[in-house]
Amino acid sequence: MIPLGHIVALSLFLFCVGVYGVLTQRNAIRFLISVELILNAANINLIAFNKYLGSPDGLGQVFALFVIGVAAAASVVGLILVIAVYRLRKSVNTDDFNTLKW
Amino acid sequence: MNEAVFYIIAFLVGAGALLSVTVRDIFHGAIWLALTLISIAFLYFYLDAGFLGVIQILVYVGGIMALFVFAIMLTAKIGDRSISQVNRQFWPGLLIAATLFVVLGKVVMDGPWMRLQAGSPVTDLKTIGTSLVTSYVVPFEFISLLLLAALVGAVVIGKVKK
Repeated sequence: MIPLGHIVALSLFLFCVGVYGVLTQRNAIRFLISVELILNAANINLIAFNKYLGSPDGLGQVFALFVIGVAAAASVVGLILVIAVYRLRKSVNTDDFNTLKW
Repeated sequence: MNEAVFYIIAFLVGAGALLSVTVRDIFHGAIWLALTLISIAFLYFYLDAGFLGVIQILVYVGGIMALFVFAIMLTAKIGDRSISQVNRQFWPGLLIAATLFVVLGKVVMDGPWMRLQAGSPVTDLKTIGTSLVTSYVVPFEFISLLLLAALVGAVVIGKVKK
């Protein structure tokens, strides 16, 4: 088996790519794709630590399951918000999402 | 042999993630995201978490990817590939992500887990099922409530007002 550090490094790379996408991308859907990458990075860590350190009741895998559930809910609401704003503004550019700004 | 499998999966995950946020066409980005998610499911199989791998493919590749593809087809203008995909914060954003990568990478490299090998028993499906309905039944119920709220909220927000 490979050492745990290599899996953590892969997860770190995925997380940083997600942060880069969240900060720089204009397209709101690309923003949601980056959020999915960040959540998956967290999941990889949870499952890797569960395997390497062990847990009598499988806490890491159970929480990875919860993260998947929350990610599904978040992306559903996020995508429907993007579609609703697109109907209003005819744009998916995050710079145009300023109706809440006074 | 075992190591080679992991590095192939890791390469697929990393390349897919990088391409999904950098390619110009958003639709291609979604396809690369699907590759990343499938590779992560294989990583779960590799880490003896077969149930999570199946759930990953079912929920992400089957459900969320279909949602992304529909959202892209409902919103994106196919023709406007000439405009820039990045906003004004490109250089600060890249700098922040790179700094985060370097700093956290140093923590990972110095950490005690760099040499840690797997030695614990594999978590089987029976253990997960038992934990879900005994120790962690409250968060489990809370997730179901959250999914219901997301379902109702999505219908209310997405409804076209007459």
